[in-house]
Amino acid sequence: CRELAVRGPRLQLRSLSAATSAVWLAAYGLFALSENSMVLSAAIFITLIGLIIYLHFVKIDQESLLVIGSLGIQVTSSYASGKESTTFIEMGKVKDVVINEAIHMQKVIYYLCILLQDPEDPQGVSEVVPLFQSSKPCLDCLIEVYKSCQEILEQRKTAPQSS
Amino acid sequence: ENSPAPLPERAIYGFALFLGAWFGFILYLIWAYIPEAWLFSLGLTYWPQKYWAVALPVYLLVAVGIGYILLFGINMMSTAPLSSTQTITDNFAKKQQQQKFQEEAIPALRDIPISEVNRMFFLPEK
Repeated sequence: CRELAVRGPRLQLRSLSAATSAVWLAAYGLFALSENSMVLSAAIFITLIGLIIYLHFVKIDQESLLVIGSLGIQVTSSYASGKESTTFIEMGKVKDVVINEAIHMQKVIYYLCILLQDPEDPQGVSEVVPLFQSSKPCLDCLIEVYKSCQEILEQRKTAPQSS
Repeated sequence: ENSPAPLPERAIYGFALFLGAWFGFILYLIWAYIPEAWLFSLGLTYWPQKYWAVALPVYLLVAVGIGYILLFGINMMSTAPLSSTQTITDNFAKKQQQQKFQEEAIPALRDIPISEVNRMFFLPEK
């Protein structure tokens, strides 16, 4: 049983202040044009609500992979507001965990993914579940995670014979 | 049979196209620049509005510019998403047959499954 966690970059103070200043400058410009003071209060409201929505739905702090040899794989994403969303895939459906290369936005990236077994075809793959989409670790980190997962996945092949 | 070498027929086609292109260009210049009154006095009344002499080139150039962006966008749309099985395999790889292993012979060309490729690349200790 192993847990592998990848942490993304923290929310930067300078990008937060840059976004806030941009919104408030735009609101001040609108106020100067329209002489309506509701624009300023609306801008403050939008900034606060926008920050809360961003922290709760967009900013992922940490993504972790919990691999239990006999049970399955659990993927957890924890958001900056403390929310955690988990997905569990049982071991019977998991064919393999591999590092795949694919084209993404004019670049070729390496990403870790879980291959799900096709019920009809023992050699086939029915679905690909990409992991660590937000924290996007580099290849060296992925190789570490891959080696760890492969150790556990190999045990499940030898376990039925030993038990 | 189908060689790109110059032939007498091709020379004649080329010259006909050259003359046709010059004729079309001179006709376009006449239509665009000569005032309508002079054209009417010659009896040529049923020609399109001169507005189009400016509008059509503008349309063409804007279409070419948008075509660059459109092609870029179509490329990005047809790229398979990260969660699709198209990044791992396709119909030809699924239907390939296993060749028997022969001693002393170069193994047959085949699509190696991704699990095997990963094991070869990432598992051996250096």
